[in-house]
Amino acid sequence: MKYVLIVVIFCICVFVGYITYSKYNKRKKFYASLIMLAEKLSVEINFSRERLKILIENFDAGTKKNLLGIDEGFVSYLDKKNELTINDIFQKANCLKQDEKEFILLFLKTLGRSDVENQTKEITSFIQRFNEKKEETEKEHKKYGSLSLKLSIVAGLFFTILLI
Amino acid sequence: MLSKILPEKIWSIIDRKVNLKAVNEIRFRADKPIIVCVSGKNYFLSENGATSNLSSALYASKIVIEDIIFRASECSIYSVNEQIKKGFIVTENGVRIGIGGNIVEENGVIKTMTNFYSCNIRIPHNVKNCSLSAFPFIVTESGVENTLVISPPGCGKTTFLKDFVNQLGERNNALNVLLLDERGELDTKLSSNFYDKISFSTKKVGFENGIRSLSPDLIITDEVGQEEDIDAILYASTSGVKVLATTHADSIETFCHKPLFQKLIQEKIFRRYVLLSKRNGPGTFEGIYNENFSRLSSKF
Repeated sequence: MKYVLIVVIFCICVFVGYITYSKYNKRKKFYASLIMLAEKLSVEINFSRERLKILIENFDAGTKKNLLGIDEGFVSYLDKKNELTINDIFQKANCLKQDEKEFILLFLKTLGRSDVENQTKEITSFIQRFNEKKEETEKEHKKYGSLSLKLSIVAGLFFTILLI
Repeated sequence: MLSKILPEKIWSIIDRKVNLKAVNEIRFRADKPIIVCVSGKNYFLSENGATSNLSSALYASKIVIEDIIFRASECSIYSVNEQIKKGFIVTENGVRIGIGGNIVEENGVIKTMTNFYSCNIRIPHNVKNCSLSAFPFIVTESGVENTLVISPPGCGKTTFLKDFVNQLGERNNALNVLLLDERGELDTKLSSNFYDKISFSTKKVGFENGIRSLSPDLIITDEVGQEEDIDAILYASTSGVKVLATTHADSIETFCHKPLFQKLIQEKIFRRYVLLSKRNGPGTFEGIYNENFSRLSSKF
């Protein structure tokens, strides 16, 4: 019974650490994917001038899954199925901070609203900000993500030793 | 299609309380009442449908207008900038939306339009047989006559052209028809199987390319209004290709005084002039005239 309890406590500690780690990992991947999406939009708007909905729907599925559902939320808005609000767009993006959500919403609000030249400039300026955010999340991931995983293992071991 | 463009509240009123089949236009002006044109007459749009009572009218805001234009461009203004530069957007169903706003020019070249403060949604209708009365005068035993359809805006010129194409198709006339659809308005819900089309091209390019590559017998095009359009028509007439076109004027007299058309009038390029008005609703025939402007018939 005692050993079962030890295993359970150890697993809980590691799980908590993993959740924290994955939160930082998701944030890092999210910004990397968001930049890829923004770059694709910038290029396609310049050359093919294809409709926004088609561009987003045709975006690489592998990268799209890291966007935490904001692409789906935005396409629903384009289809007039929901509003362009934080609640509607960021339903699955709990790992993002409020100010980040507001900034990304601002980005989405500018999409499709101007001519090619201005649209490209706007996207480029957003990409710069997203890059800064990406670097920030990479640092966070290195610093806190790995740390939380290591700490959780240490905490698990600590409780194990304590119980033994 | 309108349901995709209009704000939900306005769409639900128009859908439920206005006879959409009779709606010609819906006009939005920033901070002004929304106007709905039903069977050629203007009304205010209220919660209860079309009304003449200003106090119950719904007002349009700038945000609403911008949103309509955004939606009409399929949420991609950049993809329709060439149209916006000319002051309109045409949706996939041929709904034309005229836009008022600030023109942005650089070195004398229009770059785009911003700060939209009005829009005019023109709803196309297919009116079956609306060109039938004029048809025998245009298509004679010797073939199709060069014809110009004349009317003020919103009197059914485009509807006339569309029905004419269908009438030709129904009669299975062995004519190669080229639709030069500069604004994407003509090629909607056409039943004819006997036409080619060139869309979103200027008349100059469309006429030249079309005549060279598609060898049409008849070119049908909307709204002649520039010097190069006249040159294109002259080019077609010297190439043995017939033309059915439209232009703006409120009477034959006004038309005859338009400097742009003097060469065509003097050379008698057009052998038929069809005059339309909206006296009894859009598409009212006022008369058909020959190249000497003698009335051929007015019994419509």
